[in-house]
Amino acid sequence: MRIILLLLIATFFVMPLSNVEAQKAKTIDELAKMFDSSPCKSCHAEIYAQWEKSHHARPLMGVKGGLMLTPLALKKGEKGSTAFSEDDPKKMKIGNFPCFKCHLPQAVTHAEDSVAVELTEALLAKDSEKVAKLQITCIVCHNEKAIIHKRELGGPEKGVLYSVKEVTSHPDATFKTVKKSAIMNNSVYCGQCHGLGPNLEFDQAFQCANLYGSYLHNYVSGGGTQSCQECHMKKGDHLIAPNFNDEKQTSELLASALSLHVETLGYEWLRKANAYTPKVIVTTKITSNAGHRIPDG
Amino acid sequence: MTAKTAEGKEIGKEERHYHPQATNCRDTKEKYGAQWKVANIRDTSIQPHQAKKETFEFDLPEGVRTADITVNLFYEAVNPDNKYPIHTITREVSLDKE
Repeated sequence: MRIILLLLIATFFVMPLSNVEAQKAKTIDELAKMFDSSPCKSCHAEIYAQWEKSHHARPLMGVKGGLMLTPLALKKGEKGSTAFSEDDPKKMKIGNFPCFKCHLPQAVTHAEDSVAVELTEALLAKDSEKVAKLQITCIVCHNEKAIIHKRELGGPEKGVLYSVKEVTSHPDATFKTVKKSAIMNNSVYCGQCHGLGPNLEFDQAFQCANLYGSYLHNYVSGGGTQSCQECHMKKGDHLIAPNFNDEKQTSELLASALSLHVETLGYEWLRKANAYTPKVIVTTKITSNAGHRIPDG
Repeated sequence: MTAKTAEGKEIGKEERHYHPQATNCRDTKEKYGAQWKVANIRDTSIQPHQAKKETFEFDLPEGVRTADITVNLFYEAVNPDNKYPIHTITREVSLDKE
């Protein structure tokens, strides 16, 4: 009887999670819950606070609270609509939001089309609170996107987190183990989303970030050796600056990456006898120590 | 870059814009927003290991012998009104030797 009781208790605790993982999310709340990282906060408070201020915590909100996916939600043919828009919000599917590839990768693998419909309606209603529930959480990066050698290493395992170092016993009810990721301290990890250029794999090509392309073809090719993480995640900082909502911090970061040198010359130009033209010449030189083009994302 | 007389009258102003510029490859209009862009057609952005050098040249109006030069470098995100200042450098230029 005691064994049966223990089994029942174990089943009670285990079933909700395995059910969620087996099924796809039907609502925004279900998807948010599936990738909820709030339990991480109790042990990783500083990292969690950094992440909360980051663009990863508001991937659908753009800069300063904008709802960047709104053009996709507009009715097809309406001013400002896109090739991905439909004539009825109810027709919207996950595939109508190609931006999910990077801005909400868990939606591609774990959400029903009903989530796309709900998001469309939320965008049209300017329901920022609902849209803000969709985040690139700890679990997205430390599980979903942690492996790029799936043929060799297999896909991300359930109940396992991936990080730069192994933790054999991780005190969490769901993620009991942390395995060492082969790529998490490598720029290619960030390059999964911070792009190479046009996304040509879609039936309607589009282009977002080019940043990783610039890193490979202009920084590495010029002898650069630092990784994205070495500059943007010093001491494990999960803000991963810039945070464009913080104007002062963004200005300081840009000033540290770009230097400006100015020289001036005043003289009187002589083109023909006795006809002087007073001139001012200003020469500027901007140099960058960033590992990618500026601007990019 | 702006140039003003000692009295504050603007006598020169020029801008340079550094950013990748993309179209949808179906027309010649630049597009803003990933959902409309397909590929860059021009890229004036500031790249690693590649200094951006510019020369601005202008004539002083008759009777003007000095100019106050201000060079502003700033970052625009989303729209031109959303500016992040980076550097401001000022210089006074005179045609008269001391």
